[in-house]
Amino acid sequence: MIKIGDKTINPTKIICIGTNYMDHIEETKLPVPKEPVLFPKTLNCLIGDRDPIIYPKLLFNNRKLKRVDYEVELAFIIKDKCKDVSKSEIYNHIMGYTVFNDVTARRMQTKDILSQLPWFRSKSLDTFGPIGPRIASIGEIQDPHDLKIELKVNGEVKQSSNTKHLLFKVPDLMEYITSLFTMEPGDIVATGTPAGIGPVLPGDIIEATIEKIGTLTNKVILEGE
Amino acid sequence: MKVGKKDIFPSKIICLGRNYSEHAKEMSSDIPKEPVFFCKTTNCLIKNEEYIIYPRLLYENEKLNRVDHEVELAFIIKKRCKHIKSIDYQEYILGYTIFLDITARNMQIEDRGINLPWYRSKNFDTFGPIGPKIVENIKDPHNLKIELKINGAIKQSSNTNSMIFKIPEIIKYLSNYITLNPGDIIATGTPEGVGPIQPGDLLESSIEKIGTLTNRVILEEILES
Repeated sequence: MIKIGDKTINPTKIICIGTNYMDHIEETKLPVPKEPVLFPKTLNCLIGDRDPIIYPKLLFNNRKLKRVDYEVELAFIIKDKCKDVSKSEIYNHIMGYTVFNDVTARRMQTKDILSQLPWFRSKSLDTFGPIGPRIASIGEIQDPHDLKIELKVNGEVKQSSNTKHLLFKVPDLMEYITSLFTMEPGDIVATGTPAGIGPVLPGDIIEATIEKIGTLTNKVILEGE
Repeated sequence: MKVGKKDIFPSKIICLGRNYSEHAKEMSSDIPKEPVFFCKTTNCLIKNEEYIIYPRLLYENEKLNRVDHEVELAFIIKKRCKHIKSIDYQEYILGYTIFLDITARNMQIEDRGINLPWYRSKNFDTFGPIGPKIVENIKDPHNLKIELKINGAIKQSSNTNSMIFKIPEIIKYLSNYITLNPGDIIATGTPEGVGPIQPGDLLESSIEKIGTLTNRVILEEILES
């Protein structure tokens, strides 16, 4: 259960889309996917606006793993239980939109990917999924594919793009995901991050902004401090 | 989710990969130096005597038409925990049960081969039978016969004493990364002998001192809308 603005949601899963902005695909040198690339985050990662992101000591004190990245993303929240939703019906099953920061232990992820291991531990550390500051309703956002998306660290712009650059759009994602899995009310789908990803360190303030939704602000602190 | 007489409310399902060396060999995988984790989402959970639904999108695609059984010993978390010491592990375990990690094998191999996450192949609805009950007092969970039969023929037969990473190490390692919550399910990996299932098959998964989890496989029906 998590409170986002004035709404409380009770997600059963968080599904994220990898490599879904052309500019991000170019910077990561990953191949252009033919179908959406899905990975999960577990619910222990969720925190709200103004909650601290905790930089784990096991990463901070390990030279080989000491890199944690921000990734700002447009997320949508599922309204009701659904499966096999057709593109024309998708907006009947979406409650609204919010900002999600898919915080990632980058070196750990790279190491696991190269060994063809699952993308799990690097993505699902506690507090690695800030969400908020509110849920904008479907009525407020007529077109989710024309929103400025930006992320600042300590006031400096690091990511700046527009959701029109999404490779797979919200209807594509919704149709694809529900062809595979049953979605439940409150489930979170994060649509992928644009170019400009980079590291954060304890003490940094991250401001993730999407037009018509607002700004999600979180400070990074070292575990135990 | 009702498992036997107990209701549990899992917020996550975490599975170990490659935790029996004979299984790692049959998958042509390296023996891991530290535990390999991935997660399943709760849409996959079903109970004893419920159906495993073989999705048509796998069944009708000759490249993806392979779904495997993997019997596993699972334990259920009793209380919220982080950074626990292995010596105290029993204190954090509610009990033990049987978990069947159903896997769309060809899809998993295809995804792994291009360094994609192990997600969709593991998380189709009904791909996580659990039960038939949760047994609380097993003094030594590392000396239990574990077996899986299809239509009465033995396919997997081993003992939990062959696990590479034992439960105290697993819980210590995992809780070093993430907070575990009451009801969370941890599946400890499958022994050798994994293989395909087909619609119509009857699966019986047994672990000594726990019981037998029985599930029939059926082909997904397409509902006329």
